[in-house]
Amino acid sequence: MASIELLILFLVGAGLIAYLLTKVNTFLGSIFTIFAVMFVFVSLAAYGFNMNMDTVVNYLPGISFSQTYLGFYFAIIIVFVYLMVSFFHPYYLNEYKYKDSYNLLFLLSLAGILGAFYTDNFLNLFFFFELIIWTTMFLIPQGKSREAAVSYFGFSVAGSVAMLIGIFVIFQNNGNSFDIATGLAALNGTNAIFVFILFLIAAFAKLGSFPLHIWLPIAHGNAPHPFSPVLSGALVKLGAFIGVLALIRIAPATGLFVAMDLPIGQYVVALLGSASIVFGTLMAIKEDDAKKLLAYSSMSHGGYILVAFSILNGLAFAGGFYHILAHALASAGAFMAIAAVARATGTTKMKELGGMIHKMPITYLAYLVAIISMAGIPPMGGFISKWLIFQAVINKGMVFVGIAVFFGSVGSFLYVFRPLAALFLGQEFREYKGVKEAPILMLIPTFIIMGLNVYTGVFPAGILEFINKIIVELGYTGITVSTYAINGSNGILNPALISLVFAIGVAIAFVIFIVLKKSRKVDLMDTYTAANFVHDEHLLHYSVDFYAPLERLYEKQSSWMKKFYTALAEKVKELGKLGKYLFMSKNVATTLFWIVAIIIFLLWGEVL
Amino acid sequence: MLSTKFTPKTKLTKAEIDRKWWEVGDYFRRNSLWLLMYCTGCCAIELPPSMTSAYDMERLGMGPMATPRQADILLVSGYLSLKTLRRLIYTYEQMSEPKYVVALGSCPINGGIYHDSHAVINQLDQYVPVDVYVAGCMPNPESVLNGFVDLMEGIKNKTMNGWKRYHEHYEWYKENQKNSLGEVIVHDEFHQ
Amino acid sequence: MTIVNFLIGIGIALFGFVLQTSIGGINRKIVGRMQKRHGPRWYQEFLDIFKLLSKRAVSHGWIFDFGVIMALGGIVGTAMFMPLTKDILAFTNNGVNYDNFFIFVYLLAVGMLGMAMSASGSGNPWASIGVMRALTTMLAYEVPFLIVVLTIINYSGQSSLTGIMEFQQMAGNNWFLIAMPLGGIVGFICLMGMLGKKPFETYIAPAEIASGPMVEYGGKQLGMLFILHEISVFIEVSLFVHLFLGGAANIFEFLIKYFAVYTLANLISNVNGRFKIDQVVTFFYKWPLLMAVTQAVIVIYFGWVI
Repeated sequence: MASIELLILFLVGAGLIAYLLTKVNTFLGSIFTIFAVMFVFVSLAAYGFNMNMDTVVNYLPGISFSQTYLGFYFAIIIVFVYLMVSFFHPYYLNEYKYKDSYNLLFLLSLAGILGAFYTDNFLNLFFFFELIIWTTMFLIPQGKSREAAVSYFGFSVAGSVAMLIGIFVIFQNNGNSFDIATGLAALNGTNAIFVFILFLIAAFAKLGSFPLHIWLPIAHGNAPHPFSPVLSGALVKLGAFIGVLALIRIAPATGLFVAMDLPIGQYVVALLGSASIVFGTLMAIKEDDAKKLLAYSSMSHGGYILVAFSILNGLAFAGGFYHILAHALASAGAFMAIAAVARATGTTKMKELGGMIHKMPITYLAYLVAIISMAGIPPMGGFISKWLIFQAVINKGMVFVGIAVFFGSVGSFLYVFRPLAALFLGQEFREYKGVKEAPILMLIPTFIIMGLNVYTGVFPAGILEFINKIIVELGYTGITVSTYAINGSNGILNPALISLVFAIGVAIAFVIFIVLKKSRKVDLMDTYTAANFVHDEHLLHYSVDFYAPLERLYEKQSSWMKKFYTALAEKVKELGKLGKYLFMSKNVATTLFWIVAIIIFLLWGEVL
Repeated sequence: MLSTKFTPKTKLTKAEIDRKWWEVGDYFRRNSLWLLMYCTGCCAIELPPSMTSAYDMERLGMGPMATPRQADILLVSGYLSLKTLRRLIYTYEQMSEPKYVVALGSCPINGGIYHDSHAVINQLDQYVPVDVYVAGCMPNPESVLNGFVDLMEGIKNKTMNGWKRYHEHYEWYKENQKNSLGEVIVHDEFHQ
Repeated sequence: MTIVNFLIGIGIALFGFVLQTSIGGINRKIVGRMQKRHGPRWYQEFLDIFKLLSKRAVSHGWIFDFGVIMALGGIVGTAMFMPLTKDILAFTNNGVNYDNFFIFVYLLAVGMLGMAMSASGSGNPWASIGVMRALTTMLAYEVPFLIVVLTIINYSGQSSLTGIMEFQQMAGNNWFLIAMPLGGIVGFICLMGMLGKKPFETYIAPAEIASGPMVEYGGKQLGMLFILHEISVFIEVSLFVHLFLGGAANIFEFLIKYFAVYTLANLISNVNGRFKIDQVVTFFYKWPLLMAVTQAVIVIYFGWVI
């Protein structure tokens, strides 16, 4: 039996040891971190699947745990991403200014995650959430910019405050108890709608969905390279968790759209999710920094998750939960590939890179597999989840959400292809002549994630059966799954068959290719240039403004949200200036006056 | 003693099998010739009528292509200055084999009316192997098409092997090319 | 699933290749006659493909070859799922047909991804520009098309192609081209986009970007891409036939419908010029999308179907 409390305490202790070890030797500390995370992952995987975790609390005061399939599903995915990423630590930490604390904060945030998904108490949930936010907030500025951390923290705090107010409403409503299960069940009427909205604000802020998405590209783009996969693959999924609480567990009784058999609240969330998909896709197409591009893609995938959870039936939930897994794997894989390239070349700007495939073929394959999954193409996991979500959307007849969902799906081909073409393919740049493939320790997680991306796309039945348990736990009926086939609401899908047929097709093509005459190998620079002599490979590399004609169509509209938030920030700054002017003036008497006045005002009803 | 009961199956050698396949390939190749038009001179004006309704090149399975990689025939129509010759050689070397060169007009044969120009080469055959010449200044569409039919006949009779000659006498061709053109260093895409 | 199913699948892919290559040749002849020419032989397309396969090509590295193999593999795999009539399809088990519509859209995308990868891997900027245009065109036509398909699946309750076919062939139901006329028109316009026919031929544009993605191919790679092209045309036109024209009860019906649809698309193509790429996008997001949404709202929320 693995006790969840002991695991958390273990992580805190391991964090301290890792801190000391990292101080002595970065490599040693990082290796220790890998083993610590691996221990947590193994114990979680060994006992968690059958709900055999020990939830008794002996040492930690005021904290209580319980286990649910829902919490475990999130926890295992996130711990897995943490484990994969920890393999990257030995090669990156030396660059960072405060490298000693990196492993400590990393392990502490993992402790927060375990707590958040296993607790049965709202106050504990809030505490663990704050633990995650505070630890990660110190990890992010180790990358390129401090502003990223500010932006991340600002939006996270907005979400946390909203959640805290929601928790207080529940507390009051539930007879002064913080218990999650009874608290959510006791909600009704206006209170339910109020908490629904507050929790959704928290979910949107964590998930980086429209309209609270501004922090996502800034934080993802500027975070340390090994931390971006965690942010995108793992931490934004916290938002999905709160989204599940709000959309499914609370699900306030608002008016019903008869045509779609869907509450208005849920439909509005679906529309916001759609906006998130469209917006994320368009911005990702425009982006030049590979990491920011993937960040915008996370935003668009967050939209898919919201859409799935707002369609209230088991099929859509299955799609949503599967999408969480598929996107965690895909985005972790893609970010890790980019991180490996960034380590080798020192940049993630696509216009500065080219022809990496000839140097880093395995990293290239990892990226390829990840983006195939991200674009929802068989035989990878993303196809299954997108298929389930499509089935649900079509079945409900949600036309406008459908536009966004299809647009995002096709748009994802566009943006995921861009790093592929600009960064990995194309001409080989002479300034990267000495670049080598990533070291073997970094290739281990790459291979594991590649394998899992394929596995989730070929044999989804086992995972879907587990998801069915979650859906039943949430009070809905699961979907029908047989060994190879998945039954949707209006059709049947056999992913293993698709993969097999694809393999047969490739085999046929390979036979055709191999029996024919062997090709003459030519240099990359020996291409058709209308018989012009081009000596510089940079001139033959098409990577700047890749989708220029398309971008031109929405160039003017693309900065609306940014302008809005900049204006908002200006206003907040002005308000702060006013406060500073009133309360913090150089004249001591004025400050004193205000302090006394406020104390009097606060004590008005109680003492005076 | 050898038995005469069964005539032993004639074992084809590898060379013979290759030759058989080559003949099959030749059938397809001569019936589907794609052109890369290198329109430098006045003869290019004869190509539109030979392609469109009046003479309809497509009934022979021929058609224009966009890049040298896809094309079978390099069609040199007219005189070649030194600067264009350099590009012509570059293009010719990019084509996939088997490849054929068809030269239109009198300029590639002996310089034509530009024979005494300082910037125009007189004999194309010195630099790349030419398979079919279509003489005339300019040749009319009938003769252009006749040239193509000659090329097809030649492919059938295995006489059109200029690309093989180019391989065999590569040094000789390179020598000639260097003698006329000289070696240049490319500084950027606009300056040599 | 037995080995027989897979052999039938390969047979269908081969049939599709032969069918489309012949019909493509016949269409070249028809266009020739329209332009008062003699036109090529009807089997000219076969000659072209086999000629290309017999030539010695150039290769720009392993991704250049691997992409082509993956592309052709994806397309052949997709074609193996395609039903010809409501009875002739490869993968069927105890009355359950594995020919879900989304397989065709997304497995086709594997092929396209492979081709795009290979083209970009050649290192030629024209190829990358062509790929960019192809993907942008895809973004343009795919959304209206999928909205129409959403309407069809929502209305018929089937997402398997044979299911949709049977639904249309049932007594009392019209072909979806007639039942949803706006959707049918949108479907045909999107088919033109999928086939890369003028005016949506922007990503090939031989005179402008030197045939786009195909710029560096010659010899066997180009031949394989031609095979790929023929099979993908077969898939796309068959999709239209099955979705909008009621599929087919027997193979002759299928052939007639197929020939009619492809020839019509080809004839329209031959009297059109070429759009710029941004015109393609604005075109598809204006009328076809509006018509598709109107059709969807009419059918799903009002239930008005002819």
